[in-house]
Amino acid sequence: MSFKQFFIEKLSLFFMLTTLITIAIFVIGSAFDAEARFGYEAMLAPLRYAACCVLPTFATYSKRELKKKELIARMALELVLIEAVMLFFAFTSPVIDTSRISVVLVIAGSVLIIYTMARLFSWLRESAEARVLNEDLQRFRQLHGQK
Amino acid sequence: MDVEIEQVGREKKEQVLIRCHAVTEEVREIAAFVKSRQGRLTGMKDSRQYEIAVSDIYYFESVDGKTFLYTKEQVYETAYRIYELESMLRSKNFLRVSKSMLLNLMKIRSIQSALNGRFAAVLLSGEEVIISRNYVKGLKAALRGE
Repeated sequence: MSFKQFFIEKLSLFFMLTTLITIAIFVIGSAFDAEARFGYEAMLAPLRYAACCVLPTFATYSKRELKKKELIARMALELVLIEAVMLFFAFTSPVIDTSRISVVLVIAGSVLIIYTMARLFSWLRESAEARVLNEDLQRFRQLHGQK
Repeated sequence: MDVEIEQVGREKKEQVLIRCHAVTEEVREIAAFVKSRQGRLTGMKDSRQYEIAVSDIYYFESVDGKTFLYTKEQVYETAYRIYELESMLRSKNFLRVSKSMLLNLMKIRSIQSALNGRFAAVLLSGEEVIISRNYVKGLKAALRGE
């Protein structure tokens, strides 16, 4: 994969994560600290977190076409890096109470869910594309005398 | 090398004759090109030459500077580069699916998602080959006859 394509893919992951992190902040915030009020700078938090999640994934870039198993291993590595970044943020943040194990578990769980959902959306989109390709392939084979 | 074309009657067999001082790489290439136009290619295996019908070839793959052709059960080495085969076999439904692979579209059983914007072609032999995302657009166009 060329670096340009890799970059475009990471950009798409960034926007997907921004949306999902916004939802996660709403859900976690409502559950643990529903009364909290923030200024406009809070609007940048999902963007900042998404960027910090995407940046470590650049370590997984490979010029070579990866096999399915290798790709799954890279994705697992990506997830570990993102978890590490988000937990680092949580433990260094003055507003997040990391002394409560439930808060840490919810943050780690949210990252896992967000990452899995982002990958699931991509997979669903690609599966739909594969269905269309198979229909085209079927027509192509019929046209060229094979069923 | 002079090129001469002689027209013969229907009762005579058509023939391409190369008269040369030595069988060089260039001469072999010309001979292989003529064979490929007739739907056959020469492959090497265990120091022996084999004539392989293009329609039996599943795909070509370039590995460490060498090009290999794969049939259902055999692997042969060929003197051609992938880009040469690509231009020679375009009319025979072969398509580049990655930097190092030229695939016979008629040998694809189905196409599956292979994560990260790539697809995997499941061949009639059951083997799976990766279609690089760079070439997915070309595949769509080829299957739709565009």
